[in-house]
Amino acid sequence: MNNTLRTRLLSILFIFGLGIYALFPSIKYLLLSDEAKSDLSKDEIAYFESKTIKQGLDLKGGIYIVLEVDLPQLVSSLAKNKDKNFDRFLEELSKEYRNNSADFFTVFEQKAEEQSLKLPRYFISYGKTKEQIIEQLDLQSTDSINRIIEIIQNRVDQFGVSEPTIQKQGNNRVVVELAGIQDSERARELLQSTALLELMIVKDVESTNTIVRQIDNLTSTNTESDNDNVDQLFNSDDSGNNDLGFSSLLIAVGGNDLAISSENLAALKNILNKDSVKQVLDATGSLFLTGNSPETLINDFGEEEEVYLLYHLVDNAELTGGVIEDAQMRLSQSGVSAGQATVQVEMNNEGSREWSRITGVNINKRIAIVLDRKVHMAPVIRSQIFGGGTVIEGMDSIQEAEDIAIVLRAGALPVPVTIVDQRVVGPSLGADSVNAGTSSIMIGLLLIVLFIVFYYRASGLIASFSLMWTLILLLGVLALLEATLTLPGIAALILTVGMSVDANVIIFERIKEELRNGKSVRSAIDSGYERAITTIVDANLTTGIAAAVLYQYGSGPIKGFATVLFWGIIVSMFTAIIVTRFVFDFITSRKNIEKLSI
Amino acid sequence: MKFMENTKINFMAFKNAGFTISGIMGIGSIVLLLLGINLGIDFKGGTMIGLNFSDNVGIEEVRTAMSAVESDGQIIDLSGEEIKHFGSTDDVMIKVKIRDNVSPDFAQHIVNHVYKTMGDKVPADKNDFILSLDSVSPKVGTELSGKALWSILSSLALILLYISIRFEFKFALGAILALVHDITITLGIFSLTGYEVTLSTVAAFLTIVGYSLNDTIVILDRIRENMKSSGTVLLESTINKSINQSLSRTLITSLTTLLVITVLLMYGGATIRPFAFTLLVGVIIGTYSSIYVASTFLTTLYKSK
Repeated sequence: MNNTLRTRLLSILFIFGLGIYALFPSIKYLLLSDEAKSDLSKDEIAYFESKTIKQGLDLKGGIYIVLEVDLPQLVSSLAKNKDKNFDRFLEELSKEYRNNSADFFTVFEQKAEEQSLKLPRYFISYGKTKEQIIEQLDLQSTDSINRIIEIIQNRVDQFGVSEPTIQKQGNNRVVVELAGIQDSERARELLQSTALLELMIVKDVESTNTIVRQIDNLTSTNTESDNDNVDQLFNSDDSGNNDLGFSSLLIAVGGNDLAISSENLAALKNILNKDSVKQVLDATGSLFLTGNSPETLINDFGEEEEVYLLYHLVDNAELTGGVIEDAQMRLSQSGVSAGQATVQVEMNNEGSREWSRITGVNINKRIAIVLDRKVHMAPVIRSQIFGGGTVIEGMDSIQEAEDIAIVLRAGALPVPVTIVDQRVVGPSLGADSVNAGTSSIMIGLLLIVLFIVFYYRASGLIASFSLMWTLILLLGVLALLEATLTLPGIAALILTVGMSVDANVIIFERIKEELRNGKSVRSAIDSGYERAITTIVDANLTTGIAAAVLYQYGSGPIKGFATVLFWGIIVSMFTAIIVTRFVFDFITSRKNIEKLSI
Repeated sequence: MKFMENTKINFMAFKNAGFTISGIMGIGSIVLLLLGINLGIDFKGGTMIGLNFSDNVGIEEVRTAMSAVESDGQIIDLSGEEIKHFGSTDDVMIKVKIRDNVSPDFAQHIVNHVYKTMGDKVPADKNDFILSLDSVSPKVGTELSGKALWSILSSLALILLYISIRFEFKFALGAILALVHDITITLGIFSLTGYEVTLSTVAAFLTIVGYSLNDTIVILDRIRENMKSSGTVLLESTINKSINQSLSRTLITSLTTLLVITVLLMYGGATIRPFAFTLLVGVIIGTYSSIYVASTFLTTLYKSK
């Protein structure tokens, strides 16, 4: 073997070694039995997680969620002296924001101009000119999204997900990927909830009665005028009809409490959203909120009915979740609720002081513990509470209590978020995909090898050898890059197997042609490779361009496809041009071959 | 083994037939596309839910269960939405169009409702019931469509640039024409099948872009090589010679690629099937276009000079 051949052999062996080395942990993990897998220590799991090829959400199961920050809500909460003009502006703005992907502050400026809204009137503390205000609001929004990411990171960490990805997207979105999560409903709740805790005083029965009567008057006058229309009369028992009187929706329970049948929730929402009703409530500084979960009630006809408790509360929260220092799930020890899951909340010094003041002046009143605008409980304050400890009841399960404790500890989101894109893949679908993908690769590989050995004989064996290494090296690169293998990624692997033969085919066909032209084996190989190389590079680079663009464009699964396609091209060029060439050169260097089996 | 070696097929003699076939298929595809293509929720927005029942389940049963879905106090009739089996008769795919004024947890409410109403046919653990759940807001859908279009256009532009540098602008035009031809006709055939366009369809199309170019460039490369002997004149005989010289390669590579795609189509599972089908059509069209479209277009370009 001459020197150049030896150097080439060494470099090829080096790269092969590198590929095997990179794949080694993945192979080791694959060979572990299920038992051994469950016995792994934390460090070992971390080792395997960082060294093995990662499976994407679509293979492993898990959830992908894009949260969008409610920027109109943020702007609204920053504005002072809000009036009708501002409300109208905000409504238009929200509508535009929901349906249009244009930059929020551009739309903001545009709408403000259209409605000739004087921005300094509402945002004087942020600047005197439109430009200053928008710049400041923009800063505020960046600040809140950064805080949201921090809080969500915090929640996810405490939830205990391995390797979550949380990323900012554009200037108003957060992308969260949680692999291996089974309970998507729970995870979504955890991410989406604002976790705004408010402690609010419950209005007394007299003022509630008064306001119910007032709203009744407003809604029943509507009904009367509408009833002039005969059609309306016949339609009046449609569910969700918003022309029912307010009090007719209400059910009195347990003496002083009000409740509403779950079927009438939509009707309630309609009534409470009426401008006239809003005005009445604003004037008294109160609001209506429902309980967090339904209760079962035996109604007048002796049937079970699902109802929500309805609370009339003082609109101004006495205390909010900002003062919470710690929150833990606890099983209640005593009383009627013994054994039920509760959340024990500890407040900081300032919160404790405030809490003891509030409980001190409101003895014998009821205080509602409200989380994300849903009332969890409304106990009567029996005595002043010192020390800032409080217990929240009304959880459906231990799991729910644990999750609420997590979100309370992690803190409330400064602005509500909504889910604009969510993809959940159950674990069984993912496993099916992996099995289908693996068998497709095996069958595909086998068929190709059979075909090229049949067609190119001994040279086909060399090509098969290089094909096998293409697959090994490609997987090695994926492990090294810590790339994520997705379902389309598996498809790209199979495609690479099929397409990477192409480089060999181009070379072999060239060699055959040169042989036909009467060249010797040795020089046919040389000129065959030489001439084929430019073609191979040109052809592969263009595919590479498509793969790179795809990588830029795609989210999760598509990115996985592009990654495999791109590296497949690079690796297959290496094996087809350098590895097979070496094998040919090595064989022809030892003896003078008269006839090439190709 | 010998196969298609040393062929002397006069491809250019069938040039006009090629033009006619491509023309008819191209126009047909454009008409089909104008008639409407089945955009998936990735681009239109909406909700798609894959459910795994513990037993065979009839579409009508699911439809009945969906006739009164409760979501935040609203009762919504979803029995008119698209419901079909996928994979096996245990699994059902439900596609729900975008609706105004529904709760952000609408998709979950649908799942919960079906789980509750069809209690005797569902797995004990609700997490086993959900195979997949996708819900995309129309806003994100519009953005994704824009990005998809942009990505296909920008890859075309980059490739045009690359070929112009490596070859000649005229070659680039020929290659791009072949590409547009392939994409249009594949899209046309795709729309006939009723499969919906999803993100992975876009991936499949970009792969076709890469593959079809790969094929075209191999032939263009030969044409360039053979033109060296004939100067700047491009003769039909040169093209014929180049196509014939690379014919065995073109066919063998298409064959191996089609082999794996067929495997994918058969064993890859229901999720990957539309993707594999798109590739199958694209590779066949791509092989044909690399022989006919790009090179015949080149002769026209050179003649008009």
